[in-house]
Amino acid sequence: MIQVEKISKSFGKVQAVKDVSLVAKDGQITALLGANGAGKTTSMRMIYALITPETGVVTVDGINSTDDPVSARARMGVLPDARGLYLRLTARENMAYFGRLQGMSEADIQSRSDELITRLGMEKFADRQTDGFSQGQRVKVAIARALIHDPQNILLDEPTNGLDVMSTRAIRTFLREEKARGKCILFSSHVMQEVSAVCDVITVIDGGLVRAVGSEADLLAQSGQNNLEDAFVHLVTGGEAA
Amino acid sequence: MISKAFRTVFKKEVMENIRDKRTMMSSVVMGSFLGPLMALGIIYMTAQMGKDKAEKQLELPVVNMEYAQNLKKHLLSQDVNIMSLNKSPEAAIKDKDHDVVLAIDENFAEDMLNAKPAKVMLYYDASAKGAANVSVRRVRALINAYSAQIGAMRLQLRGVSPNLMQVVMIEDHDQATDQSKGAQLMLFLPYFLIMGLFMGSMYLAIDTTAGEKERKSLEPLFLNPVSRVDVLSGKLAATIGFGLLTLVLTLIAFKLTLPFYPSQSLGLTLSLGLADMGLMLLVLLPLSLLAGSIQTIIAAFSKSFKEAQTYVNLVIFIPLIPSMLLMFMPVKEKLWMMATPILSQNIIINEMIRGEAVSWSNIGISVAGTFLVGMVLAWIAVRLYNKESMLFSD
Repeated sequence: MIQVEKISKSFGKVQAVKDVSLVAKDGQITALLGANGAGKTTSMRMIYALITPETGVVTVDGINSTDDPVSARARMGVLPDARGLYLRLTARENMAYFGRLQGMSEADIQSRSDELITRLGMEKFADRQTDGFSQGQRVKVAIARALIHDPQNILLDEPTNGLDVMSTRAIRTFLREEKARGKCILFSSHVMQEVSAVCDVITVIDGGLVRAVGSEADLLAQSGQNNLEDAFVHLVTGGEAA
Repeated sequence: MISKAFRTVFKKEVMENIRDKRTMMSSVVMGSFLGPLMALGIIYMTAQMGKDKAEKQLELPVVNMEYAQNLKKHLLSQDVNIMSLNKSPEAAIKDKDHDVVLAIDENFAEDMLNAKPAKVMLYYDASAKGAANVSVRRVRALINAYSAQIGAMRLQLRGVSPNLMQVVMIEDHDQATDQSKGAQLMLFLPYFLIMGLFMGSMYLAIDTTAGEKERKSLEPLFLNPVSRVDVLSGKLAATIGFGLLTLVLTLIAFKLTLPFYPSQSLGLTLSLGLADMGLMLLVLLPLSLLAGSIQTIIAAFSKSFKEAQTYVNLVIFIPLIPSMLLMFMPVKEKLWMMATPILSQNIIINEMIRGEAVSWSNIGISVAGTFLVGMVLAWIAVRLYNKESMLFSD
């Protein structure tokens, strides 16, 4: 469970994020929906304790991530915007490296790697060096690497960006399975279909501010539109450009 | 103190670098073997050329030899191959046909007869490289000997002892030992050792910082529940490890090439015992900490791999400065020099090569001074990424 209360961040004179609040509950998929440059990545970076918010508090399973970022990170598995792999290591070695940094035993790393490789359909390339992997293969390795320690909270920054239908479906299925296991999933996206397909609760962000919160049905009702795309445009423009 | 994260990062960086065969070849192997092999080649050629010029029959083009028949006899008796010249002496030197040309003044015979200084002209290029000077020196010596011989005869004919002409006699006492003569040729050794060390750690310093940032794997790495200081310490340790590996290989390469040096023909002794090698390693050990740290700091500030490479390459030239200074001017060692990194290693290794005793206190000051500076730089290097703006390349 992740609770975000009024976090803000500015870079120089640019206010990137202002007073963003949201709650991501266990057993739910929560979306942070916004256009490019809306403040999604900066918000996510503060939530997963890579950068420190100027104001506000992020708590992960009750742990304040500013006070104790190391413990907070141990409760999270994060697929950040930057998802570079180590090209001279195999997919499995990439996963094991992060497993060791998570403090897992070699036996746990082995069994969890096998599980993720099966569930994400990575059998064919798991023991190859990642140099030359396709976009879809790379994202799968990056997700497996981020979730090697089976964290309670799963955060993904635009996970299906640039993926083909098959890879996108594999990842959606995986996320639904994790939700069924009672995990808290928070992901950011600018793709309406994506959000519409998997998310339970949507937080719409624009210009660094939260514009609306609710289920897809709530947002449609709130904006008086009949599809999420129109609802989104209505919400971020205040109904002017709709 | 040594955490699991530190060990994990260290092992991974070492393994990844070893798998990159091209980098291993270019930085570690080239860094260590190129210097010794190059030095061997250059010394071999210089020694060979000098030897040839000094021992071969002297070829001397002479203009107007007919004016000085007696001098001709003298030169022939000294096994000089007197040649004729079909162009002007100036042109012959300019076109590099000959190292030196002798021209006899047309009044030579007459002046000789009247006991006036008879003139000969020596044409050569004083800025010419290599062994050309050897020929000039030999001609000059031949003429001087002839002049002295005739002069002595003239005095004797007049009943004067030639000894009256020699007021002061210089007796040479060259204090150079065979080993210190060898040291002249080995002055570059400290530079090659230090350069090898810098080259060995250069690639990892860049790859683990600017490279990882550019490939966008730094952010995911820092999302693991470990401190950034631990991660960076592991990376720095791997970087320093490869610097040390290159250093050891450079020493071994020197040891292996040593028997091939033309020491006999140069009349000098070159020696590098196991104890000397161990001591050199000890003196250079703390320098690897300094090299790895400074390279990591520079690379961490760079936005891309290429940018980092440009800056870090420049750093390799820093050790060149003290090495060059010491090659051209002899210095009397002072305490502050011993505490100055790079300079102290240069001085100490030079002393060892010259076969002088190096005091343990000097070694102690050098090791401690460099270690201290290295630790400060390492402390900075592992904390750089605590600053948020350093995390992202965009």
